[in-house]
Amino acid sequence: MTMQHSEILTATVFDIQRNSYVDGPGIRTTVFFKGCNLHCAWCHNPESQCAAPQMLFYKNKCTGCGKCKEKCPNALETCDLCGKCTMYCPHDAREICGKEYTMDEMLREIVKDKAFYDNSGGGVTFSGGECMLYPDFLAEILAACRSSGIHTAVDTAGNVPFSHFEQVMPYTDLFLYDIKAFSGELHRSGTGVENNQILENLTRLSKGFPGDILIRVPVIPGFNADPAEMGRIATFLASLGLSGTELLPYHRLGEHKYAALGQAAPTYRVPTDEEMTAFRTLFVQ
Amino acid sequence: MTERIQRLTELTLQGKMYADTVKTVYDEADLLLPRQQMESKRICEYILNQEPKLTEYSVLTGFFNFDGSIVGDAFRRGGHKATQEAFHLFYLKPIDNLSTMEWQHATADYTKILNRGICGIIEDIDESLRNHTKSEQTEFLLALKRVADALIGWAHKCSRRAAALSLTVSNEEYRNNLQKLSKTLLRVPEKAPESFYEAVLCIYLCFSADPDSVGTLDRYLYPFYKKDIENGTLTREEAAEYLQELFLMLQAATPVQSNNFTRGGESHFCIGGYLPSGEDGFTELSRLIVESMIELPTYIPQVTLRWTKKTPREVFRFVLDCERHDPHKRIAFQNDEKRIMAYTEICHIPFERAVGYTTVGCNEPAFLGAIIGSNSKINFLRSTERLFHEKANLIEKAESFDAFFDVFKKELFSDLERGYEYDNFYNKQRAQDINYVSSLVFNDCIENATSLTQGGGNTAIASPMCLGITNVIDSLCVVKQFVFDEKMFTMSELITALHADWRGYEDLHTLILKRGKFFGNDDDTSNCVAQRLYRELYEFLKDKTNLYGYHWLIGDLLGYNIHHKWFGNHTRATPDGRYNGDMLKFGLGQSEGRDREGLSALLNAIAKVDPNGIGCGSTVTNITIDEQLIKNDANFEKTVDLLLTYFQNGGVHFQLTYVSKKDLLCAKETPDDYKHLRVRVTGFSDYFVKLNDAIQNDIIARTEQK
Repeated sequence: MTMQHSEILTATVFDIQRNSYVDGPGIRTTVFFKGCNLHCAWCHNPESQCAAPQMLFYKNKCTGCGKCKEKCPNALETCDLCGKCTMYCPHDAREICGKEYTMDEMLREIVKDKAFYDNSGGGVTFSGGECMLYPDFLAEILAACRSSGIHTAVDTAGNVPFSHFEQVMPYTDLFLYDIKAFSGELHRSGTGVENNQILENLTRLSKGFPGDILIRVPVIPGFNADPAEMGRIATFLASLGLSGTELLPYHRLGEHKYAALGQAAPTYRVPTDEEMTAFRTLFVQ
Repeated sequence: MTERIQRLTELTLQGKMYADTVKTVYDEADLLLPRQQMESKRICEYILNQEPKLTEYSVLTGFFNFDGSIVGDAFRRGGHKATQEAFHLFYLKPIDNLSTMEWQHATADYTKILNRGICGIIEDIDESLRNHTKSEQTEFLLALKRVADALIGWAHKCSRRAAALSLTVSNEEYRNNLQKLSKTLLRVPEKAPESFYEAVLCIYLCFSADPDSVGTLDRYLYPFYKKDIENGTLTREEAAEYLQELFLMLQAATPVQSNNFTRGGESHFCIGGYLPSGEDGFTELSRLIVESMIELPTYIPQVTLRWTKKTPREVFRFVLDCERHDPHKRIAFQNDEKRIMAYTEICHIPFERAVGYTTVGCNEPAFLGAIIGSNSKINFLRSTERLFHEKANLIEKAESFDAFFDVFKKELFSDLERGYEYDNFYNKQRAQDINYVSSLVFNDCIENATSLTQGGGNTAIASPMCLGITNVIDSLCVVKQFVFDEKMFTMSELITALHADWRGYEDLHTLILKRGKFFGNDDDTSNCVAQRLYRELYEFLKDKTNLYGYHWLIGDLLGYNIHHKWFGNHTRATPDGRYNGDMLKFGLGQSEGRDREGLSALLNAIAKVDPNGIGCGSTVTNITIDEQLIKNDANFEKTVDLLLTYFQNGGVHFQLTYVSKKDLLCAKETPDDYKHLRVRVTGFSDYFVKLNDAIQNDIIARTEQK
């Protein structure tokens, strides 16, 4: 997935979020790579799934003023993502999602907040999408961050060859590893892919990675939010000696993005606090 | 809180602790006396004719108000006829759409009274009389001596009243309190206090001479606190009670009917900060001051923590934790590293004096025993506006941003020169008054035999507040980015669009707002432009002083009054996307979602903008953040680190508001449902629904940082 122009590695990113209080310890910058090989039905960043840049159209903001068409005849039907319509839309109804970064450009953004990382025990987190689909780029940017004295974290769903892990492990301090389901069939039904590789990678990682691993499990009522499935995940993690699992309740903050992509939003319900408390008791803390 | 303090709190919030004035009839024959003799004679008669505010719950007394019939204190300026006349002509009335006159804050030097008592001050006057021979100066000093004697007489009168009241009180504890008060007032403030209680009583009584700020309270009270705690004559709880009664007096000093009763800017002081020894000054007493203050359900005073590189994280966290638990929003934060650097290097103030600064009012820096050297407001955007609307020919042919910037700079500095002339003019107007009361408790006035209002103090800065700095930076950014770097439109097109108030140029306006590299996003363009502006301001101002020799610095805050709206009303469209008549921005920050990169980017941009510290005048950085970044305990720890880093990076000031935009909009719609919603305004806090429309809109427009 890594692009190469005149031997300069690039990667497509849909957001670089500074001052993030989640995705790892301390204050962090989270880099969201675009492109994912899972298609989770509950995904709260649906714009992350396609690797190529995309046009987001927020219909609720559009007043039909026609400014987009006036500035670019291709704005609606044969959009080539030139971006003119986004520049002149007075209502922010159109937005291009996805921008190509070289390693230097990305590093320049990341180091801006180094003082904040240093004081808070924070750093950078590479997320997505699936950042492990860009192993060459990722390994380079991780190494560069490491050289700059920045704590590094990789947020992955693990559905890549283990060789990708081997490429990035030397420069990674922390893996945030997502487990969506333990049961293979359930996993396939919710994400579109099998989970053999994911579980195997985690097994190997737990044995061979000297840094920290934090497991994150999304809790999706109607998918995995039942005690039996959560119990299976917990048992598997315990067998690997992994503790401190973070359970992430499903939320609806991404619904507007489905609309902007012209897709139907998922209809899962948000788990209750009581459910979340009960599930947490299943995991070794 | 003790029951006694609870009772006093109730009375204070009901306005019943306000020191009512007693009308005094003066002898008309006084008018034949020389001016200084006549004015001081009447002051003495007025003071001795007042009645102390005393209740059965009192342990402290002696604060009185002036009624305007004589030359009163230098803060409220009652009886300062020339000042009143100048206010009548210029206060709240912009001149040239460039300058408005404003109030002046100050802080007395309580160490003088605490170290030597009023007797010691009288000795200083006698010494100065030996050194000055000009009649105007000796008359001034003799007048001060009369007023000093009257203050001693006033303390004795308070003593008699306390004794009389004690006879009517049945509660033994309260009776003992009043007897103790009566006995102590016979000794202090005439003589130097010997205990923590006596020291607090001195401040309580002498606050009448400058009812503004109690300054660096924690450092001048600390020797008394430490000694009494160590020798077992004072408990922490007793100290808290005395402090709380002092704070209640500061609240009661403002009439309950006044809008200012709920505004912390009426009395503002500092804790912590560098000591003359170079050590951090935060002590156990500083901690007690914050704790006892926020336990009171009052609005005044407000307090600022002066942070230094030596301040432990735990201290910074403690004060920020108090801030998040304070419903009345009375706490703000300053960075000593930057301020002390500016005061010593730009203003050439000796370190020992520089570390005595305190922020007063809305965040104006005053040095212990000194007044703010100026306090006018300047329309900083006017020169940019005039350049594009009246002198477009000067910039139309500019071939580079540098060439444009040179023309811009000339116009800006010309406006600043003129704004400073107005500032000097206001001071000259004020200088026609002679102040005999505050001059006693301020530094250098006795030694120089010169009234505080006439530049009697040696240590001060002059910091007119420049409104619209962010508008100027953004305007410069737009010119650099779109006209010169990206060549998206020409200077002529921009000029034409501004002349048309963007009508017919809506696309260009949209483009600017959407793609503009505005200040606060920590990108190279806006950072470089902003830093260049501050560097030029530093070069322009670093050796300039006002009419009293006080060095100029740049301020950017607003105060209670809506100067940003008045100036904005008469300022035509500017390149930053402002329309004709839009308000100016105040403070150094952003709004309307222009800071798109998040809080760390905004804080980085602000912290880096002014490495020389020329902006260390009366400056304010208001930050509106998501409530969850503060209220949630895990997030709070990260926010502590975030704000600490901001100071380490060079940020000068911050104060927080964490109310959602949605709530603010609702509060505007249905104010009755949001009566208790408190927000940080400029340097003070107030109930949102009590603010005027222009200030409400400004707060709503601030970007809500997630």
